[in-house]
Amino acid sequence: MNSAERLVHMANQIATNLATDDDPVSATADHIHLFWDPRMKKLIRQNGDGLSPVAAAAISRLAETQSTA
Amino acid sequence: MTYQPQTDFGTPASKSTGMVSLTIDGRETSVPVGTSVMRAAAEQGTSIPKLCATDSVKSFGSCRLCLVEIDGRKGTPASCTTPVEPGMIVRTQTPHLAKLRKGVMELYISDHPLDCLTCAANGDCELQDQAGAVGLRDVRYDVQASHLGQEKDHSNPYFDFDPSKCIACSRCIRACDEVQGTLALTMAGRGFDSMISAGLESDNFLGSECVSCGACVAACPTATLIEKKVVEVGTPERSVVTTCAYCGVGCTFRAEMRGEQLVRMVPWKDGKANRGHSCVKGRFAWGYAQHQERILKPMIRQSISDPWREVEWDEAFAYTASELKRISDTYGRHALGGITSSRCTNEETFLVQKLVRAGFGNNNVDTCARVCHSPTGYGLKTTFGTSAGTQDFDSVEDCDVILIIGANPTDGHPVFASRMKRRLRGQDGRPPAKLIVIDPRRTDIVRSPHIEAQHHLPLRPGTNVAVLTAMAHVIVTEGLADEAFIKERCDWDEYSHWADFVSLPRNSPENLQPVTLVDADELRGAARLYATGGNGAIYYGLGVTEHSQGSSTVMAIANLAMATGNIGRRGVGVNPLRGQNNVQGACDMGSFPHELSGYRHISDGDARALFETDWGVSLDPEPGLRIPNMLDAAVDGVFKALYVQGEDILQSDPNTKHVSAGLAAMECVIVHDLFLNETANYAHVFLPGSTFLEKNGTFTNAERRIQPVRKVMSPMNGLEDWEITQALAQAMGLDWNYTHPSEIMDEIARLTPTFAGVSFKKLDEHGSLQWPVNDAAPDGSPIMHIDGFVRGKGKFVVTDYVPTDEKTGPRFPLLLTTGRILSHYNVGAQTRRTQNVVWHTEDLLEIHPVDAEDRGIKSGDWVKLASRAGETTLRATVTDRVAPGVVYTTFHHAVTQANVVTTDYSDWATNCPEYKVTAVQISASNGPTNWQEEYEALSERARRIATEVPAE
Amino acid sequence: MNVRISGDALALACGADAVAKAFADAGATVERTSSWGMHWLEPLVEIDGVGFGPVSVNDVAPIMEGRAPSIGRIEDHPFIARQSRLTFARAGKTRPTSLDDYYATDGWRGLAKAREMGAAATIDVVLASGLRGRGGAGFPAGIKWKTVAGAESDQKYIVCNADEGDSGTFADRMVMEGDPFMLIEGMAIAALAVGAGKGYVYIRSEYPHAIAKMEAAILVCAHLIAPFVVEVRVGAGAYVCGEETSLLNSLEGKRGEVRAKPPLPALEGLFGQPTVVNNVLTLAAIPWILLHGGDAYAAFGMGRSKGTMPVQLAGNVKHGGLFEVAFGITLGELVYDIGGGTDSGRPVKCVQVGGPLGAYIPPAQFDLPFDYEAFAAADALIGHAGITVFDDTTDMAQMARFAMEFCAVESCGKCTPCRLGSTRGVETIDQIIAGKNIEANLALIADLSETMKFGSLCALGGFTPYPVMSAITHFRDDFMVRGKS
Repeated sequence: MNSAERLVHMANQIATNLATDDDPVSATADHIHLFWDPRMKKLIRQNGDGLSPVAAAAISRLAETQSTA
Repeated sequence: MTYQPQTDFGTPASKSTGMVSLTIDGRETSVPVGTSVMRAAAEQGTSIPKLCATDSVKSFGSCRLCLVEIDGRKGTPASCTTPVEPGMIVRTQTPHLAKLRKGVMELYISDHPLDCLTCAANGDCELQDQAGAVGLRDVRYDVQASHLGQEKDHSNPYFDFDPSKCIACSRCIRACDEVQGTLALTMAGRGFDSMISAGLESDNFLGSECVSCGACVAACPTATLIEKKVVEVGTPERSVVTTCAYCGVGCTFRAEMRGEQLVRMVPWKDGKANRGHSCVKGRFAWGYAQHQERILKPMIRQSISDPWREVEWDEAFAYTASELKRISDTYGRHALGGITSSRCTNEETFLVQKLVRAGFGNNNVDTCARVCHSPTGYGLKTTFGTSAGTQDFDSVEDCDVILIIGANPTDGHPVFASRMKRRLRGQDGRPPAKLIVIDPRRTDIVRSPHIEAQHHLPLRPGTNVAVLTAMAHVIVTEGLADEAFIKERCDWDEYSHWADFVSLPRNSPENLQPVTLVDADELRGAARLYATGGNGAIYYGLGVTEHSQGSSTVMAIANLAMATGNIGRRGVGVNPLRGQNNVQGACDMGSFPHELSGYRHISDGDARALFETDWGVSLDPEPGLRIPNMLDAAVDGVFKALYVQGEDILQSDPNTKHVSAGLAAMECVIVHDLFLNETANYAHVFLPGSTFLEKNGTFTNAERRIQPVRKVMSPMNGLEDWEITQALAQAMGLDWNYTHPSEIMDEIARLTPTFAGVSFKKLDEHGSLQWPVNDAAPDGSPIMHIDGFVRGKGKFVVTDYVPTDEKTGPRFPLLLTTGRILSHYNVGAQTRRTQNVVWHTEDLLEIHPVDAEDRGIKSGDWVKLASRAGETTLRATVTDRVAPGVVYTTFHHAVTQANVVTTDYSDWATNCPEYKVTAVQISASNGPTNWQEEYEALSERARRIATEVPAE
Repeated sequence: MNVRISGDALALACGADAVAKAFADAGATVERTSSWGMHWLEPLVEIDGVGFGPVSVNDVAPIMEGRAPSIGRIEDHPFIARQSRLTFARAGKTRPTSLDDYYATDGWRGLAKAREMGAAATIDVVLASGLRGRGGAGFPAGIKWKTVAGAESDQKYIVCNADEGDSGTFADRMVMEGDPFMLIEGMAIAALAVGAGKGYVYIRSEYPHAIAKMEAAILVCAHLIAPFVVEVRVGAGAYVCGEETSLLNSLEGKRGEVRAKPPLPALEGLFGQPTVVNNVLTLAAIPWILLHGGDAYAAFGMGRSKGTMPVQLAGNVKHGGLFEVAFGITLGELVYDIGGGTDSGRPVKCVQVGGPLGAYIPPAQFDLPFDYEAFAAADALIGHAGITVFDDTTDMAQMARFAMEFCAVESCGKCTPCRLGSTRGVETIDQIIAGKNIEANLALIADLSETMKFGSLCALGGFTPYPVMSAITHFRDDFMVRGKS
């Protein structure tokens, strides 16, 4: 697994574990926002291949908040 | 302070609150109900002669020196076994008593070698003291039979047993029974032939069940059981109370010294974590501190293929600072990072993270808790609001049900395990607490002398969440939840949501049995017992956290505790058993990349502002890299410099090959350690560290107890670790001017609300303090969440079972889980450099007889352990302690490199590695793997130290 | 012809089985009964109340043919007629494990009475009887029961101490072999009085016949004492396990080592629970007391020593056996009038009362009445009321040495005075016997005795000085003469 693949795996894992949350997309986005370093967030925005639907939605949401912030 | 043994009151203190008044030798005194006459006398300063009594064990009444006269009583009762009564009039010194004591002492001395002047205990011997106290001047017997001239037992590496000096007081036996709970010792023979024996007659101490905790040695009133070091050096002349640097129990010891030489470590009876007990590591395994392999001079090199070059400190700091500046200028400030050590003090850890945040200018700081208890921090913060255990250790005395999950306390936390076992034996007169153990292995505590778990759930590794959810299912669906507690303390909607989830039929024990392999009836029994058995306390370890669902498991545990109302008072709670001495402290100090000290998120502007003002810098509001992320970034070529204080990531972190690739890709690896550890093979700068004996500071143990670490000798390397970090910071241009660690603690207190009331002065006064220490709790907080949760309402979090991605299959059909053993600590850097190796010379692979037979493997055979990540070889031991399909090993020996096999999979929330589940195959082998051979060669090359300045 | 022959171990040792078989072979109906307790007459054969003994196989034909001399009616024999047999009322008369015989002789009536009057009143009766522990210490049984009754616990125990290890004693054995139901009834009454559910009889392994009889009896009468349950536990040969706390440790499966008191066994005894520990004779006296009332029992005896004591005459004595008598009889009466002096025919040198730890008493003190307080005042003890007679050939220095040696062999090793003192005592008396420094060594023995007496944890070490010092005090010449040889 290279770094990008590992990040996708991590994001999917977070999304799976937060699947029972009321709002899994927000929960996943929040989690990544709180615990990932900026480079990792940037990397996954650039290499999102293999993201689960929830994880992908979360990354998009993260991108919006990052760009608006 | 000149040397004096700690006061021995003869019998344990009574816990009663009622008081009794009596008169002893004409002085009126008042003591708690249940106190012995002996203790009452000792407390008023009257010393009654005694030999078989010591305040760590129950009274025994055998030596007959402590006889007293009591008005209205026949004869001369023993003061140790006679409880005080109101109005009692006691005389401790009369001519009759004096004659009796002299008579008893004459008998003792008639069977004791008269070699006081050459005896190792000369000057520190109770028999000698008492012979003087009773005024014995002559032994009139013409002695025929005696116990003199027997062979000594030197088998234990740390203490000798000389039966010729034994007075058969049984203190050693009782200490082993009552304090340690191993019951290794017994009295063989009877009458005159009574002899202390370590098990069978054929056993010596080393061959017996003895775990070398040292309780017997501490209890022995003569030189019969004595530290080899005392035999070698002589008796100590002063002592300093300090805190052990091994596990998270945080035992306090008296370091007993002769000059600058440490003679022995004796457990401190006033220590609130250990209450006078110890284990083989803290008590004896400190020889590494003076080990010949310890590096005492700083060293640098351009490339890891070069030999090391010894330099002066100034050059080392200047070189390191220039390298860091070069890398920052070349690759940007995010190319730098640091790792704080859970082995170092709070003050040292705080400085390292400060160096990263304020000096490196980023948040790339992490700590070894990443690979152990990071899920605890996440899980308990989310549910309760505090990243720490809820109880003090004393709380175990009030447990009715103890639930141990993923922890092996008798090996990993032996001193606390002894206290736990005491409660499980019901030694205090109350019915014993009940025990539930959830562990893939039949750990020692499942069945040990006078203890047997009511339920052992040998689950399939990786299914913790499923088991806990099934337990929750039973509790909720059978109406065992404490709804009154939940309504008052927790968010009811969140509870309802959770309760609906766990009640789903798919979460029943029966439905989950194929996944967990846990018998559904047994699981139901365990759940009912925990929910209805009275005070229920959960103790857990790395078997909970080191999984892909480590954080979920912590939250599932918190859910169970809240659902049953087992939070907020003594005897209950959620108790992570922390691995390293200061892993709690390292986390508290802001070692995580997303958090400032006191668990405030780096994005919290108010918190950041506090630090920015104090430090005069601006801080990056974005979280930094975690250790595995750093290694990934290094492989990607964007992370170039790492300052590692007191951690051997190459050996301890998972997937060794990935770690080595990451390290090899860096341009400046700074290892700050005692020894040339495995990580140092890839280092460019080596800064020699100081041991816990050589510095001042504080450690925080698993019960949030901040305890002083006191310098007992000068650092052999010249500097305390905090001084090294400060000098490096100064070389980088930072204006740091701490003159003592107390000033660092003052800064921590200033910047951290939970530490607001902590200072070295206050710690000296109190001995220790449990955080939070603030205006609301000026003396600290033994139990948390008493009147409500720190976060407000307790939060139930739904934790759905998600199977790990690490799956068994035809190529890798077995599950490997890893752990540790009593005599060794973590990667073994310290314990392997002590005599502890006699108990555990190598890592062994435990394999079930069925799996062994399938592969033609016998105990003692070399086997290859292979996973998708890598392979290694080690020897097998065939045992049904593990279930079929599960294999187990330890990771104490660098030569085994068990982490070559472990994978990159990690906890979803914290990236804590999934050490506890690796799909593996075992096959017969006849030697080391290629990796082991290559690595061996690399280590040899990498550890060369140039004997003179190279020619070029 | 109906012939009654004892099945008691002593009768068996004297050949009772062969005699019984000879009678059976000759066509007689043989009944095996308990023993009358006249040892010099065993095997004693009873036909229609008339006794013959000691009988050998050769005597069978003459007896059956009516041409053998008899001892007359056994009940009228002076040894029996002079006794007040309350506890041993059935001795010689009943078949030990026959419930019919037991019913026919007032059996179970004490228990019925106790059930009728209830726990508190039962204890009152025992208190009124003045019954004191027959094991040696003489502690009032009723007070002990009251303590246990008052203790709070779900589980209490009755422990019968049947580890009869004193030299020259056999009363416990005779009860268990001869009248086991009486003991069980006594335990059942105790259980009722204190609220105990379980009882143990701790019997020394050297008593195989007693163990067999007790087990057989317990089986037969289990339904009569239910829900109370009695179980036999067999000791492993340590004298010190006759000491109540060692006995409890042994019962728990632990090393037979003395426990310090407090806690009293009455409050924290077997498995930490409130426990009545009583000797066989104490519990065996209970059914009679319940049936006839405390006052009836207290009418026997003198001073604070109430009731009767089954005295056991043994050693070098002409008429050895079991002699149950009210307290107050003098030693002289027992040795000369009842025992008939020495068996050897030589003058009596002394007697030892109360087992191996009892004092040696010279004839000069034979006016001493059998009474706890009188004995204590004379530095002697009644103990289990075994009297061992010695004639004038006895070397009292050897007897003193034996006392120390006995203590050394049997010491549990817990407390220092006993563990080390007994061995030093043997060594020092050996010095005296060898004629070395006699005066100084006698002084050392006196000091050692004081250390052991006041310093020992239990009676083993604490009472060993009694035989030693009494031998020295009364027979100093036996020690001094050594110097001349």
